[in-house]
Amino acid sequence: MSATTAPRIEAESNDLLGWLTTTDHKRIGILYLTTSLAYFAVAGLLAIAIRTQLARPDNAVVTPEQYAQLFTLHGTAMIFLVVAPFALGLANFLIPLQIGAADMAFPRLNATSYWMFLFGGLTVFAGAATNEGAAGNGWTSYAPLSEIAISTGLGQDLWIVGIFLVSVATILTAINFVTTAFIYRAPGMTMWRIPIFTWEMIATSLLIFMAFPSLAADLELLFVDRNLGGHAFDPAYGGNALLWQHLFWFFGHPEVYVMILPYFGVVSEIIPVFSRKPIFGYTGLVLAAFAIAGLSMGVWAHHMFTSGAVDDPFFSAVSFLIAVPTGVKFFNWIATMWRGRIVLATPMLFCIGFLINFLLGGVTGVMIASPPIDFQAHQSYFIVAHMHYVLGGGSLFAIFAALFFWWPKMFGVKLDETLGKVCFWLLFVGFNVTFFPMHLSGLYGMARRVYTYPANGPLPELNMIATIGSYVMLLGVLVFVWDVIVSTRRHEPVPDDPWGGYSLEWATSSPPPEHNFDSLPPIHSERPVFDARHPELTPP
Amino acid sequence: MTSDWVLFIACGAGVALLVWGLILFAVFRWRVRSSDDGGLPPQFSSNNVLEISWTLIPLALVIALFVFTYRVEARVEAVTPRPAVSVDVTGFRWGWTFAYAGGPTITGTALAPPQLVLPAGETTRISITSSDVNHAFWVPAFLFKRDAIPGLVTTFDLRPVETGTFQGHCAEFCGLQHALMGFTVRVVSPADYTAWLHGGHT
Repeated sequence: MSATTAPRIEAESNDLLGWLTTTDHKRIGILYLTTSLAYFAVAGLLAIAIRTQLARPDNAVVTPEQYAQLFTLHGTAMIFLVVAPFALGLANFLIPLQIGAADMAFPRLNATSYWMFLFGGLTVFAGAATNEGAAGNGWTSYAPLSEIAISTGLGQDLWIVGIFLVSVATILTAINFVTTAFIYRAPGMTMWRIPIFTWEMIATSLLIFMAFPSLAADLELLFVDRNLGGHAFDPAYGGNALLWQHLFWFFGHPEVYVMILPYFGVVSEIIPVFSRKPIFGYTGLVLAAFAIAGLSMGVWAHHMFTSGAVDDPFFSAVSFLIAVPTGVKFFNWIATMWRGRIVLATPMLFCIGFLINFLLGGVTGVMIASPPIDFQAHQSYFIVAHMHYVLGGGSLFAIFAALFFWWPKMFGVKLDETLGKVCFWLLFVGFNVTFFPMHLSGLYGMARRVYTYPANGPLPELNMIATIGSYVMLLGVLVFVWDVIVSTRRHEPVPDDPWGGYSLEWATSSPPPEHNFDSLPPIHSERPVFDARHPELTPP
Repeated sequence: MTSDWVLFIACGAGVALLVWGLILFAVFRWRVRSSDDGGLPPQFSSNNVLEISWTLIPLALVIALFVFTYRVEARVEAVTPRPAVSVDVTGFRWGWTFAYAGGPTITGTALAPPQLVLPAGETTRISITSSDVNHAFWVPAFLFKRDAIPGLVTTFDLRPVETGTFQGHCAEFCGLQHALMGFTVRVVSPADYTAWLHGGHT
């Protein structure tokens, strides 16, 4: 049973000062979400510039210097400032509501995290205003390339400092999530009744504790090398060039799951509601999340198979094993839909899109866990395709599912469904037209991070197709923006529970009051709001 | 290595088609039509036999894939004690040096890419490193790449079978002209190789 002493709730004003000084988890969540969507808009436009440059061989839309900055900022922003923090924002909004709490455990720490995240991202982008431009060594910024001897610009230092701020903010937020979920659950909300999304955020937070300190250490070493005369990655002085990769991927692979487990949670919330059934295999889903989190700590060197320095088959074996709990989740989602009454509303469409796209990313993930396959695929466009199927076709589709699903709860307005479906189909078709051909480009020998490619062979056609797809995706995002504008101006009143939801956030008003709940329904299962709606089905 | 690709694509396509099929079947079979009365379907939520089998069957599949891949990897990474040819490869921004043991040293840059000449059907030992930042020696036609990392020398064997000229690239981002850091590999008959070695290296 949980403690019931909620933090003291003070009235916050609704003006700018109220938002700037807020410690309300819902406002911080919305700040996180809108900030990450703003970064998404920027990172998406950078991607359009990348695809425009690559539309034809020997194109000169941008210079090689600009191209390096484009893919660096695109990757850095999508990973550190969009996909991961969107999940943190959503969890900020949802965790206290889902467990029946009034706020997060540490509201002021929560606000601190948000501002560090915002300014960390701005610090990275500030590099674009320096003489030599923003950082241009990719989101992985491998040393020794990123050392001062070669990357002389201030942009690389701003990248280090900005990402360091974001990683500290992420660790602080994870502390908040775990403490809140463990301590502030409402009476009756036992651990085995908390919604899957909150479970996934607990697993995500544990991963953050283990992975992000390694990134922080890596960034500190690089900062010392660049600014204080260190030689951590410089073999000429006894340093080790491979050390950057070890520390980076010890963070970087768990980070993949920091960017996907929350979205497993999102689809685990949405699919049951639109199948009108309970989630299938609740216990299995929770255990699978922790199995994925645990295994993902032991696979970092599969990013280094081609180094020739880590031949240990351990890393390949553990990478294969991750497919098992991931498969368990897939079968549970399908079993949830099985014999249900499937309502194809926009959030459900995006979840189905998530399942279809992510599956291909998972299959190619198992392929590249095999070193002989990785020897060809590594650092080629095959990898670009693989990771975009995971983070774009997977996480990004779940982001849109979450936006359409929880928008009424956050803002008291439902997004237009017709425009939502147009948005889905444009994004789904655009996504696959953009990224499927990249598997083939990689196999035909196109390396990552190149601003041009040979004009002979199939690469020009494959790249032109991908570029056309990216414009279709841009159109899809514009339809979403249009949907937000239209729906906000129309401002039709929406009931507190427009979808027939299951978890406690649907038991309060839309948007919820500052203290979250006036009263809570009795909690006898993992879907108390469903139980309250169907007392005839409630277990005794 | 081709066998690994064929097996994994076959297994991957099989699994993907099965799961996509299940997803689309469920969606089309049980989607709500216009005659929706808002009723509830059966509220089942677990089945131990199903859950254990969809854990154990994929587990068996990935173990089999791992055993297969382990054998292929051992073959790919095996190095012979006495290779016919030995070449020291050094990557630099932005070009390559190919230094033949007891033979010529060939250097080329992005503007004039170097050519690596190899005898067909014989084993060539490559020892690779870098003199500045990380690069990677990639010949797509050989389905193989290996990083060139400063301060670290690693070795691998190439045993090309077909003669011909193959395009190679740097695969690890190494700065502005990474995209142009190419080279070619010309595989010739052993007799032609000997002639090349003792002739003018052209």
